[in-house]
Amino acid sequence: MIPVAKPMPQGSEIYPEYAALWHLESIGVLDALRDGARPPADAKVSRVAIIDTSVAVNHPCLKGAVNDKLAIDFFSNRLGAFPYLGEALAAPSIPSNLETDIADDLPGSLALLRELIDRLSPGAAAHVNGVAPTTSADFSNHGTAIAGLVGARPAIMQIAPDYQGQDPAEIDVPLPYCGTDPFCELVPISTNFDTDPEALILALLYAEVIDASVILIPRSFPDPFRTLGAIPVDLDLLEAALPARPTARERALWEELAQLLVAVSMRRPIICAAGNFQEVGGIYPANLASDYNGIISVGAVNAKGLVAGYSTSQGITVMAPSNDGETYDRVSVRLDEQDADFPDRRSPAENENGSFSHFEIVSTDVPGRHGYSHGPFSSAEPADGLREFGSYFCRFGGTSAASAIVAGFVSLGVSLGQIPRAGDGGLGVKTWLMSRTVQVDTEENGSFHYLSWNGAVSFPDLKV
Amino acid sequence: MREVPVVSTDLDLLKRTELVVTSTGLILRGVALSLGDAGFPTLETRGTTAGGSLGTLLSMNRSARSSLNRNRNRNRNRNRNAAAATNQGGLALEPWQERAALYARERDWVNLPIDLPPAPAQLQAEAIEMLRKQVLLHGPAEAMRRDEIITQSQLELSAYLRPLGIEEVAGYEATVALVYLVVLLCDEIGLRYKNRFNAPRPNNVEPRLRPFLPNPPHSSYPSNHSFQSFAVAFTLSRIIPEHPASSELFLRARRVAENREWAGLHYAADTRAGHDLARMLMPVLEVVCRDQMLAAQKEWI
Repeated sequence: MIPVAKPMPQGSEIYPEYAALWHLESIGVLDALRDGARPPADAKVSRVAIIDTSVAVNHPCLKGAVNDKLAIDFFSNRLGAFPYLGEALAAPSIPSNLETDIADDLPGSLALLRELIDRLSPGAAAHVNGVAPTTSADFSNHGTAIAGLVGARPAIMQIAPDYQGQDPAEIDVPLPYCGTDPFCELVPISTNFDTDPEALILALLYAEVIDASVILIPRSFPDPFRTLGAIPVDLDLLEAALPARPTARERALWEELAQLLVAVSMRRPIICAAGNFQEVGGIYPANLASDYNGIISVGAVNAKGLVAGYSTSQGITVMAPSNDGETYDRVSVRLDEQDADFPDRRSPAENENGSFSHFEIVSTDVPGRHGYSHGPFSSAEPADGLREFGSYFCRFGGTSAASAIVAGFVSLGVSLGQIPRAGDGGLGVKTWLMSRTVQVDTEENGSFHYLSWNGAVSFPDLKV
Repeated sequence: MREVPVVSTDLDLLKRTELVVTSTGLILRGVALSLGDAGFPTLETRGTTAGGSLGTLLSMNRSARSSLNRNRNRNRNRNRNAAAATNQGGLALEPWQERAALYARERDWVNLPIDLPPAPAQLQAEAIEMLRKQVLLHGPAEAMRRDEIITQSQLELSAYLRPLGIEEVAGYEATVALVYLVVLLCDEIGLRYKNRFNAPRPNNVEPRLRPFLPNPPHSSYPSNHSFQSFAVAFTLSRIIPEHPASSELFLRARRVAENREWAGLHYAADTRAGHDLARMLMPVLEVVCRDQMLAAQKEWI
């Protein structure tokens, strides 16, 4: 008989189930929506500008959420291309705040603003100089997940005719998913990850000229001298370590962008992901947040009410729900004991494994075989309905997800007419936001401020 | 925008039904649906509806941020395999499908609005800067750059694969193949633009420049090294924008491009034009290279 090697012990991978909208329940928003919270008749529609990747705007839960007249893409077209417009700009595509003086003290940005405003004239081409947008849904994973967390709506879809089988009794499929503010309007402002600050300045200026209620930046900006947060670094060292030096123009524009972020935030809140590597004070631009501006940095808390393994609450404005991450270092060991590889990890006796939560954030995903979750079919999605719904949603997380939830939360405050001093700009909104948090005290992570719509919070993975 | 056939967006749906995450996937609960065998093969009619053959679909997708930032699990299970970087990641054959797709939409890329080449006065001014670099290049501080220039005179991918951490790791063959594909397609596109502008090489304008390498047998504007490198950076950061090095790729691309200036082969304006051309080409590339980009993306998610 051939001897068989004893198999390695493995974790069971048994995870208790949880509601996909647990994050909304945790902060009290789901109950409010179920109990009938709706915008007052005279309410202004809250407009959320999202500076991120492109979005799969045809997702059924994003129908009605995305403003396809204002959505713009700066990936390839220097002055922005309108992905969903025909040939020329008409009235609904002309922003209302073109008179802004936001860049008056910033010469480089002012020049860009003038170019942008000229480009936004009635009759201007949707694609300046014929340069198309880079907004294929195939590569819109991140933006789609972010958009859904902010402003998705529930939907009912029908099963596509070819996939209904024999005599179906029921062909309506509910998709009971929603974002934190299902009443808002989303304006995707998509960008690339180039190290030239010009496109980021234009994206921010565009958010200003469309008079966004909230600006969400769930990403980092690659400023060569501001990418590290609280760790003091010799700028000469950073300069010497660069593989390629920024030009004088780029240096000047990076300086202006930092000032522009603060200036814009005084008029409308800017909500930023704080980073997924325990960055104290946050990554850039989250690390610009202070008591004196309207920039809000967001860290992540797991479904047990503890700071997520990859996040921190130190130097961070507000904490919001997200997934967790394992830690395995000298300071902290927080491992997933259900993970298949867990028995091979050798946890020390002193560990925080009990703090790990397997709950993840569910959001909208690029439908079909693409996106973060893949469908079972390799052909294109049917034009006339569903054939499965698993690929329409994905697991998501990080401080990106947390920041999107905060942006939706603030937007919900605007939509429901709950922010009394919205006219005070980003600082006024931040004051309101902090009044809608509760202080959570933990042994492991100290105290932090966590979103709460109604003064109560719940952590569904916490077994009391 | 395609019209999505949504029946209702009523928020009351949230009271009646619920999406639930289980160990194996996403299920729909709280409705007494009776969909029969309606193309949703694992449907149950006891108040719970599984998402078709979705059992494993959702669970396949771990958080992108965590898999990209803390990819211990993936790398632990991958053998070091330098061969992956040398066999063109499986792109051993001519990419005929992509070339066909590229020429099917030739109209979209053959006349992209890059700036015209600089006039002689600017070229003369840039040549002064190049003379300065020519002198500095031979000093000890630039020893590494000299090595890079020689390495990068051939097709070599470390500038793109090393920041991503996959240079000698197996399991990223589609990503490597994608890089080769983009480089190949851009090579001929760049030649079209070079031919159009027919701009002289720097030492044809300023004979005191002594190129570190022989002049390639085509004209100067735009720089194909720049064009190809930035096209790779734009493409990779398009499929994995969450990767912490997505912006670093652009700095490496710029380094590759600027090394050609240091070598006396290109003006800074050539570098800039290559960058701009790559950026404007992306709407075409993301369609032409779609399948390879999706295959590469699946190696990361």
